[in-house]
Order: sequence, then structure tokens, then C-alpha cells
Amino acid sequence: MLLLVLVIVLVPIAFMVGTSFKSNAEITQDLHLWPHTWTGSNYSRLFRDSYFGQYFRNSFIVCSASVLVSLVFGSLAAYSLARFKLLLRMEQWLGFAILTVRILPPVVIVVPLFLVALKFRLLNSWLGLILVYSAFNVSFVVWMMESFFREIPIDLEEASMVDGSSRMTAFRRIVLPLAAPGLVATAIFAVIVTYNEFLVALVLTSSPGSQTIPVGASTLITRIDIDWGAMAAAGVLAAVPIIVFALIVQRHLVRGLTLGAVK
Amino acid sequence: MTAAAAYLAGRRRAQGAGLDRVLPYLLLAPTLLLLLAVVLYPIGYGIRQSFLNFRFGHAVGSVGLDNYRQLFSDPAFGQALWVTLKFVVLAVTIETVLGLGLALLVANELPFTRIARLVLIVPMIVTPIVVGIVFRLIYASDVGLLTTLRTDIFGSGQVFILDKGWSAFLGLVALDVWEWTPLMFLILLAGLQSLPIEPFEAARVDGAGDWRVFLDQTLPMLRPVLAVAIALRTIDAFTTFDQVFVLTKGGPGTSTQLISIYGYNTAFKFTEFGYGTAMLLTVALVVLALAALTVRLIRRQAVS
Repeated sequence: MLLLVLVIVLVPIAFMVGTSFKSNAEITQDLHLWPHTWTGSNYSRLFRDSYFGQYFRNSFIVCSASVLVSLVFGSLAAYSLARFKLLLRMEQWLGFAILTVRILPPVVIVVPLFLVALKFRLLNSWLGLILVYSAFNVSFVVWMMESFFREIPIDLEEASMVDGSSRMTAFRRIVLPLAAPGLVATAIFAVIVTYNEFLVALVLTSSPGSQTIPVGASTLITRIDIDWGAMAAAGVLAAVPIIVFALIVQRHLVRGLTLGAVK
Repeated sequence: MTAAAAYLAGRRRAQGAGLDRVLPYLLLAPTLLLLLAVVLYPIGYGIRQSFLNFRFGHAVGSVGLDNYRQLFSDPAFGQALWVTLKFVVLAVTIETVLGLGLALLVANELPFTRIARLVLIVPMIVTPIVVGIVFRLIYASDVGLLTTLRTDIFGSGQVFILDKGWSAFLGLVALDVWEWTPLMFLILLAGLQSLPIEPFEAARVDGAGDWRVFLDQTLPMLRPVLAVAIALRTIDAFTTFDQVFVLTKGGPGTSTQLISIYGYNTAFKFTEFGYGTAMLLTVALVVLALAALTVRLIRRQAVS
């Protein structure tokens, strides 16, 4: 049973990895799961004839900037919702309203996003992508961090404030360190979602100077329709960063993937 | 200052007085401004654009509600909606059944769940574009995995998946099942493991069989989790885009043209931004209703 599940999950990926190390002659003439002679030619061809290096750089910059922005903004907002009584009872419903943004799939607002980006000259720029991804992520950060902050007893901050520190000092010194595991889990999930996002990046960027890895990989395989070796190599290169990242942090993943529905 | 006075000052700060009274709103401001600028403003802008007629990517005048009326007379829209519905129902049903089955099988075997969690996480975190590439390599009629397997077992013969409408559609469903059954499994497994043990023991003592225990105990108790999982998956499947874009681009014909692909093509391939926006905003309403429902389910789940 276990074996069957593992085979079904892993064989497709193994086939892609195998294909990426075959020469194109071997791919077409000799049908086997695994290469007879390993070759890195598909990879060297990719790096020579395309902009893969640049795609990596773009993905890295856009991902880290937007995750950072959303963590800072989102944590502050979440803290406010978790600790204060607000006008109109915002602390009760605003978190859920914001969560709706996360659940709303990008495809339903991608056309307006494109038109607005066009209007403000944000097409083909890191800034445009960073803004959009920050907004998508922040909604998730608020939702996750609010529940983490609520789990921290309020007495600890009050004790610290009684000792004379300000609200924000108490937040920085007491609350944030206690919520660190939650912050990590949230950041991890935001990184994965942002790195994988395709549609918004596809619509907002059209030159290698700002395209992210998924967009780069998709334009590449449209161009090289029957170069199976290069296609497989592009797939592997696009997948490696996120798989390595996820395996390192896999313990923290499940809660994020299920929007906190499962703890 | 005496200790008592200091305590009172601290208390007051904790409850919010003076400058501290606006602090909560200052903390919320960056997030709300960002969402206003990047989500609400574009939606409002989009609603305005949806009343305009575009030619070659430029607005050429207002057409009132025509873009929305066009939805009802556009056979391609109806077709895309039908394909999407078929896709969602088929994929989510298979994923739920498989995920629940697997979760029930392994809920009590700890070593399995540890390995399974590690491996099963892979399909759902791999970039969707890459999943598309993986399945193109599997389905390729000349060099693909299926053709390879058939050649290894039967000596010869190609397997054609993406050339015919019905098989391409099923191929897409298979991709979705491969990618997302693990999520169903993980949510339901966590749900199962959080259930109390006593009712099951009581039912066993009463002599109930596996099937009765499942129907009378497991299913009712698991229902909230099941509902959240199905709702999340339905929304996601309803707007699947990336994998189709790489695998078939909606073809052959319109057999895999989901509503998201049709909306994308309308707006960006044929530059009918007005009609494209009208279409996707209408879809957004459906999704929003589903999302609101999901949030309520999660909320109930979080409370209980």
C-alpha cells in the first residue's frame, strides 16, 4: 500500500528528472525510465540559450521582498486585531474579511490588475509584482498571526508594561519571540505560494528582466515545443529550489497549506 | 512614583489611553492601505472597465450591460462553464474519496504517516507549471512515460492522450488528482487523528462492524473538516489555470478549456478587456460566495 502510493507520487517526477539527463537521441530512440548515459547537455543548453539565471534572480528578489513586507505589515495588523477592542467590532470580523482575499483566486482579478498596472506604468517591473504579492500574502499573514497572537497570554505583556515599557516594546520583546514559530510557518508558506505563482506574473511581465521562474519556464517550453530534454530540464530547475526549501521546513507546512483549518 | 501609581499607568496603557488610543488603527493602516490599493481599487476599476467596449486593446466607448448580456448568448462561455463544472465535480469527488480512504487506512499507523507526510507534500508544493511539464512528459505520444510503459510491457504501441478531447480531459483530471489528493489526505488525516477515541470504543463494545462505525461515528464527527477540505478544493479547482496552460492550452478544440482559460484568452489573446473582465468578475461572484461559505466553515471549525 505504502509502496504503491510512493510509486504513484514519485515515478512521474523521477521520469522528468531522468529525461532531463538523457540526450535527445536517447529520448526519442530508446524508451526507458532512466538514462543509460547521463548527460548535462540539456542543462548547459538551457543556461546558454535562455535567461534562466535572470529568472532566478527575479524570483528571489520578488519573493523575498514581498514576503518581508507582508510579514511586517501583517504581524502589526494581526496584533491589533488580536489585542484591542476596535470600532465597529472590527476585531471580530476584519480578520475573516481579509482572509477572503487569500481565498479569492488571482484569475478573477487579473484583468483589472493588468489594466491598473498599465495605467501606473508598473508592467515589467519588480515593484508591480512585489506590490501584488505583498497584498496576497498579507491577507494570509494577518489570518495566521492573529490566531498565534491570541494563543499568547496577555498577562505577559501587561506585566512588562507595568514595568514601564511601552506597548510596542512589549510587542517586540515579549510577543514576537513567543510567536516566532508561527511567524516561521507563515513565512514558509508565503514563500512557497509566491514562488509558485504564475498567472499574475505572466500577465504583468513580458521581458526576461522581470519574469519569474514559472513564467520563464512556460515561455521556454512554448518556444521549444519538441525539445523534450530541455523541457524536462527546465521543469527540474524550476522545481528544485522549492522542493529543497520545503523538505528543510516540512514540519511547519501542513497548517499553512490548510489555511489554519488544521492545527 | 509609587508602585501603585506605576501599576495604574501601565494598566491604562494596556487598555489604551491618549496616543495609545489610535495605536491599534496605526497598526492596521499599512495592511488596509495595501489591500485597498492592490485589491479593492483594481476591482472597482475593473467593474468600470466591464461596461466599456474595447477594440485592439483600447476602450472605444461605453456599452452599458452588453458585456454581461453577452455572457448568456456566448456559446463558448456556456461550453467553458460546462467543462469547468465537469472538471470540478469529477476531480474533487475522486480526490475526496481517495484522500478519505487513504487517511482511514493509515490513521493508526504512525511510521507510515511520517513517511507519507514527507512524500505526499511534494506534489502540492511543486510549482503548478512544473506539474504541467511533468504530465506533458508522461502523456507525450512519442516519448512519454505511458508510451514507454506500453512499449516495455507489450513490445510496441503508442499511447495518445492529448490528441483526443475526452482523453485530454481525463488526462487533466488525472493531473489534478495526482497533485491534490495529498492535500485532502493530509487535512482528513489530521481531522481523523483529532477525533476522540471513546465513541469508537463504545461502538465496538456494542458490536458494530467497521462499516457501521464509519457511517455512524467517523463520518458525522469528521463532517466539519470534510466540509472545509471540499470547499477549499472546489474553489481552487474552479479556477485552475497554470497546469492547463502548460498541458493543453484548453485544447484539443474546447475539451479542456476551463472558464479561467477562456477568460484569459478573451482578455489577453483577443484583447477584449471589457468582456473578459465582465466574465471573470461574474466568476468572481460565484467564487466569492463559495469563499464566504468556506470562511464560515473554517470559523466554526476554529471556534469548536
